[in-house]
Amino acid sequence: MTLKQSLTQNHDELLKQWFQATINTYPPQSARILGKDVDRFDNPVGAVTRETLEDVLHLLASDYTSDTLEKALDPVIRIRAVQAFSAAEAVSFIFFLKKIGETVMDSAHIREFDRMVDQVVLAGFNRLMKCREDIFLLKATESKRRIHAAFERAGLVKELKEEDLLGSKKS
Amino acid sequence: MADELTPDELLDKIDYATDSGNWLDTTKSVQIRPGMYCYAAKPESVETLGLPNARSWNPTEEDWKLPDNWQQIIHDGIKERLEKFRTFKIFMDVCVRCGACADKCHFFLGTGDPKNMPVLRAELLRSIYRNDFTTAGKILQKIPGGQRLGGNRPLTLDVLKEMWYYFFQCTECRRCSVFCPYGIDTAEITIMARELFNLLGLNIDWIATPVSNCYTTGNHLGIQPHAFKDMLDFFVEDIEDITGVDCTPNYQKKGADILFVTPSGDVFADPGTYTCQGYLILFKYLKEKYGLDVTWSTYASEGGNFGFFTSHETMKRLNAKMYYEAKRLGVKWILGGECGHMWRVIHQYMDTMNGPADFLEVPVNPITGTKFHNSASTKMVHITEFTADLIKHGKLELDKGRNANRIMTFHDSCNPARGMGLLDEPRYVINNVCDNFYEMPPNTIRENTFCCGSGAGLNAGENMELRMAGALPRATALKHVHEKYGVNTLGTICAIDRAALSTLCEYWVPEVEVAGIHELVGNALILPGEKERTEDLRMEPLPGCEEEE
Repeated sequence: MTLKQSLTQNHDELLKQWFQATINTYPPQSARILGKDVDRFDNPVGAVTRETLEDVLHLLASDYTSDTLEKALDPVIRIRAVQAFSAAEAVSFIFFLKKIGETVMDSAHIREFDRMVDQVVLAGFNRLMKCREDIFLLKATESKRRIHAAFERAGLVKELKEEDLLGSKKS
Repeated sequence: MADELTPDELLDKIDYATDSGNWLDTTKSVQIRPGMYCYAAKPESVETLGLPNARSWNPTEEDWKLPDNWQQIIHDGIKERLEKFRTFKIFMDVCVRCGACADKCHFFLGTGDPKNMPVLRAELLRSIYRNDFTTAGKILQKIPGGQRLGGNRPLTLDVLKEMWYYFFQCTECRRCSVFCPYGIDTAEITIMARELFNLLGLNIDWIATPVSNCYTTGNHLGIQPHAFKDMLDFFVEDIEDITGVDCTPNYQKKGADILFVTPSGDVFADPGTYTCQGYLILFKYLKEKYGLDVTWSTYASEGGNFGFFTSHETMKRLNAKMYYEAKRLGVKWILGGECGHMWRVIHQYMDTMNGPADFLEVPVNPITGTKFHNSASTKMVHITEFTADLIKHGKLELDKGRNANRIMTFHDSCNPARGMGLLDEPRYVINNVCDNFYEMPPNTIRENTFCCGSGAGLNAGENMELRMAGALPRATALKHVHEKYGVNTLGTICAIDRAALSTLCEYWVPEVEVAGIHELVGNALILPGEKERTEDLRMEPLPGCEEEE
């Protein structure tokens, strides 16, 4: 059996344990609620976390690149990037997969599986940086808009359009 | 039967460990984290209003420069409010901590911070109330372990800081109150807590400075009358370019039929500015077709009321200008624009604060004859009620095709939806100016709507992480309709929403943009004598007028 076949075979158990470990990064009083499998609009953190982890596991069992991994991780990282986690805590949940793998996966695949998880971690870290940059850009963009409106009112920036000021977003 | 556990096995599964954390002990947990709090009020803004303890201070510093007797001030403040407001007294006493509200708050769902459960946020203040004002609390505080048993604690500096941090992580949206079996309005607990903070000069600047601006110039942005008029003139020029019709409005016109008041955000902040142009087009149409005379005022140039987030006295002072101006101009009644908290103030507080407005008439739409009984006392009508009534009576000529590029959904703003029950009129208007409308899931709209995460004065820049976390439940529903139906426009009737949801979309659902409902009305309304339009109010090509590549 290959690693990918083993991943498919153990998908449910990996997902179950990985999801619980990820939700347990929240304070216990919150984790009890966020861990519930209810309507996704009543518990977006729980639902998005579960769906994202499932997508990542499916991806690992098929063909993936660092780009597709990053894209798959986006929804959960995007949430953790605005919550009370340090950068390390925000991506730490990916490392849990190694410990879970030790008990779930065939020992013959462990080294290969660990290397795979390392790639997921790096993709996750890339995405966390992008989300944090997004946040700072949002702050900057709102400030620029406010200041620009004031300058425009005062007639100081007749020639400079808002799009010019926001050009940094496109680059 | 073999699956059943024996008594011993069952006992083995019981966790006898006591809860390791004690939420009453705040000494370690209060960490005022950048991204989650708003900057402190500037002393000059606090001084303008004559509010106490104006000073420079910084929430992240150890010393908040509180007056020496700050505990007594808070104690007396709570006492005064318990005696004055029956609701506050009941809300302090009646909660049984059932937890029905716990997972209903967008800030809890987004941040995962248990102190953002509405029940626990309210307990931060209730614990002080129980300690200082209840017999049980007074007895229990003398017994070892009694405080924990009774859930009471003395007011220390850390407790104050914790309360400040979390009561400025509540947007007073009242979603939790919809689910409370006792009908506790948790927003009123936040309102009271913020009043208490203001006794110590602990407001945030994103509230205090707009309030000060509004008090001195008539609007939150501090726009002076000539600049306000300049901005509307600028819109008039744009509208003339697009439609060929001059929509110059009236200012301070004595004897006009109706005074129109809208949030100043509509005049200065995109995309609200397009909504503002929609109002101008509508009023021009009604003047030309039916002779209706609507006037704007550069004095009553703010519909919003950040005094609401400061104290009831401040709210009353800012609200009064609408009535004074209506009286001075001698209009029949007041029409209000697309705004959020403005409508809670009008619907729930204005009448008893500054009313009754006996000098005004019970609003009647002179074009349709409809009498707005719901506004019989406040004399103020919401513009979507007004426009829906016009459409219902076939009084507006509309070309839906001009909005054919918009695939719409509608965000119910908390205050018009939950604060006054305005649910169907905006939808009726949307459906009459646009062909493509899809609802978000039922548990996220109407009375159950999720807040934008930036209301109640929290739409600052420095607390962006808090805002985006609080926006998650709304964004999840929006993303769903975007992916399922191709929704590309989020309609809303609140000026703060128009600003806040735009940023929400940039982070969570970048393919969707935000529009006010009267922007769509302005696009669809066929003005008498207009030229053939090729652009919408954003000066983008109308559907069918795109240049070929």
